[in-house]
Amino acid sequence: MIWVPLLLSAAHLISFSIWTIWISFTPSTLVPVSGWVGLRNYNAVLASRNWQIAFDNLLLFGIAFVLLSLVTGLVLAVLLEQRIRGENVLRTIFLYPLAVSFVVTGTVWSWLLNPGIGIEKLVHDLGWSSFHFDWLVNRDMAIWTIVIAAIWQSSGFAMALFLAGLRSVDADIIRAAQIDGAGPFRTYWRVILPTLWPITITVVVVQLQFAISAFDLVRALTNGGPGIATQLPALVVYDLMFQRSQLGRGAAAAVLMLLILLAVLLPYAAWRYVQRRQATHA
Amino acid sequence: MPITTTRRRLLAGTAATLALPAFARAQGAVKPRLTAISQWSAGSDGAAITALGKKFEEKGGVWQHSPVPGFTTEMMNKLRAQIIAGDPPACSQLKGPEIAAWSKIAPTVDLDAVVAAAGYEKVVAPDLAKLHKPGGKWIALPLQIYSTNMLFLSKRAMDKAKADKPPVTWADFNDLAEKMKTAGVTFPVANGGTRADDGQKFEASLAGISPTAYRAAAMNLDKKALEGPEMKAAFVQMRKITNWMDPNVGAQPYAINLKRFVDGDMGMLIMGGWAQGVLRNAGFKFDDFVIAPGPSDNGKPVFLLNADAFIFWQRKEPDLQAGQALMAQLVMDPAIQTMYSQITGSIPVRTDVDLSGEGWSDGQRLTAAALKNAVANNQAVLSLAHNMAQENGLTAAMIDVFTEYAKNKTIKPEEAVTRLAEAVEGAR
Repeated sequence: MIWVPLLLSAAHLISFSIWTIWISFTPSTLVPVSGWVGLRNYNAVLASRNWQIAFDNLLLFGIAFVLLSLVTGLVLAVLLEQRIRGENVLRTIFLYPLAVSFVVTGTVWSWLLNPGIGIEKLVHDLGWSSFHFDWLVNRDMAIWTIVIAAIWQSSGFAMALFLAGLRSVDADIIRAAQIDGAGPFRTYWRVILPTLWPITITVVVVQLQFAISAFDLVRALTNGGPGIATQLPALVVYDLMFQRSQLGRGAAAAVLMLLILLAVLLPYAAWRYVQRRQATHA
Repeated sequence: MPITTTRRRLLAGTAATLALPAFARAQGAVKPRLTAISQWSAGSDGAAITALGKKFEEKGGVWQHSPVPGFTTEMMNKLRAQIIAGDPPACSQLKGPEIAAWSKIAPTVDLDAVVAAAGYEKVVAPDLAKLHKPGGKWIALPLQIYSTNMLFLSKRAMDKAKADKPPVTWADFNDLAEKMKTAGVTFPVANGGTRADDGQKFEASLAGISPTAYRAAAMNLDKKALEGPEMKAAFVQMRKITNWMDPNVGAQPYAINLKRFVDGDMGMLIMGGWAQGVLRNAGFKFDDFVIAPGPSDNGKPVFLLNADAFIFWQRKEPDLQAGQALMAQLVMDPAIQTMYSQITGSIPVRTDVDLSGEGWSDGQRLTAAALKNAVANNQAVLSLAHNMAQENGLTAAMIDVFTEYAKNKTIKPEEAVTRLAEAVEGAR
């Protein structure tokens, strides 16, 4: 009976989504109330500085984080694939951050990146006193500290998937490339990496949905600061709902987040559908 | 005003006389029990509410306090969940305009009879009383008062600057900060980086420049006052303050810096009176710091009022009702208020408590005197940064502007004035 749990979780998900969508059209503040205010909550959220900053940050964070974690994960996987000694230990080390909660990651990095006590202080104490690394408290660069911490946390995940992909490449193809006189770089670039496309897309989608819903990491690392420079949509939703007691506006922001997620997931689903059709035709 | 007997008054009087024996009866018959939630879990706050619970138990009650650590809003989330579930606590922490807002979503206990019996209304500052009786009836009781714009001066930093008395006006403050800077105090202003912290810098500036403008702009949201010249002056003063702060604090609370403050590495701390409790709890001595009212340009103390309170939610259980009656009596009791304030460093709500005796600090006596003085001169105003002047939504929208302004030095004061007016408009 595989359908019962699936039905239950689908009903759960859909009923709460519908409830949130309904709340976003009501004048709810402290507690949910009925009533209809049309798009007023949406207009208020879209016009607020917090949301605008959060949306710009999401674009920057989403793109930078996904690309950089992809590249880092791929490089780590290729290096580990060279049948080096101690691979198991290294693989565990790289994968380990994934087991740490984002709150812990955020807190640890907030100390490391604090210019007064962290890395900047360390380098100063080592004698390089002109060294400057104050991104955490610099409102233009603070969003990059979140990118750094997020990459540290989840590039191991990308690495693990890529490594599995690399290991499953048919050895005959590689040997054929070598016989044709391709060097190691050319072999990777022309022969092995193109076979990793499906894995790359999976990694991108998984990381993107993490980026869009990122909350705990930011809350622990910068809490949206300095000022409101590192706001992200999930922080805005939480802030509206639970700090400002504006449930209607919070729900509207949550629905906007859902729309952003759908913008990522629907093309992916369509791509999968096309792929499957092509596979069955072939 | 002549006292006329209207039907409403008659009804209210009857209700009160009916309610009073009901309270007494309930108390006699069952063991009073109180379910309470608050954010006070640790430090001096936790110690104080635990002491209050002990007193409650001494009177034969059952004390069931569930603290929700963190910011007040975290406590509110639990309160909201309990109210939606139809199971509110008998009593919860809540303060300022939130009392009026929350009282609309669940029935509260009418405390008029117990308050009248204790003769409490006469000894509470009128502005404060108003907040606790939205709709004309007492539904909540204030517990303790803080001023959010007290000025703490590091003794060692003052010695470095060869200063012997605290500044009175903002000009004095700015002079002293400059002197400290030249004398080698690394950061003349000690600070935290939280939102409330940034909000306090602004409210202290504006209220110190003009309490009248503060009342009009921050409390009444008067459009003309929000764009007035005092607002720009306040942002200019706030910029000066932020230039003297440690930029590396990030989002950490002010308490992180208390040791540097006492050591004279940081000079002055603009903070609520609770910092005294925190300093004392951290093991520092009264000789380590000086307390003064926040700078005020007209020379008379300005008091930015912050008062913690308990609101009482309607329950049917007789033991909880008895517990509410007992709790109300305790909260209004001068001995209990004395005990509570002596632990936390606040001052009692009752204006008739004598602070000259043992157990009070000079800072508390000075705060109480400042309150009396400020009330007499109409310079006691409600704190914006600590959610006394506006509801949470509006407060948060305004603090967005302050916190951005504190961290982004490229925003000009006049720009900040416009942004603040827009934020108020957008949040209404």
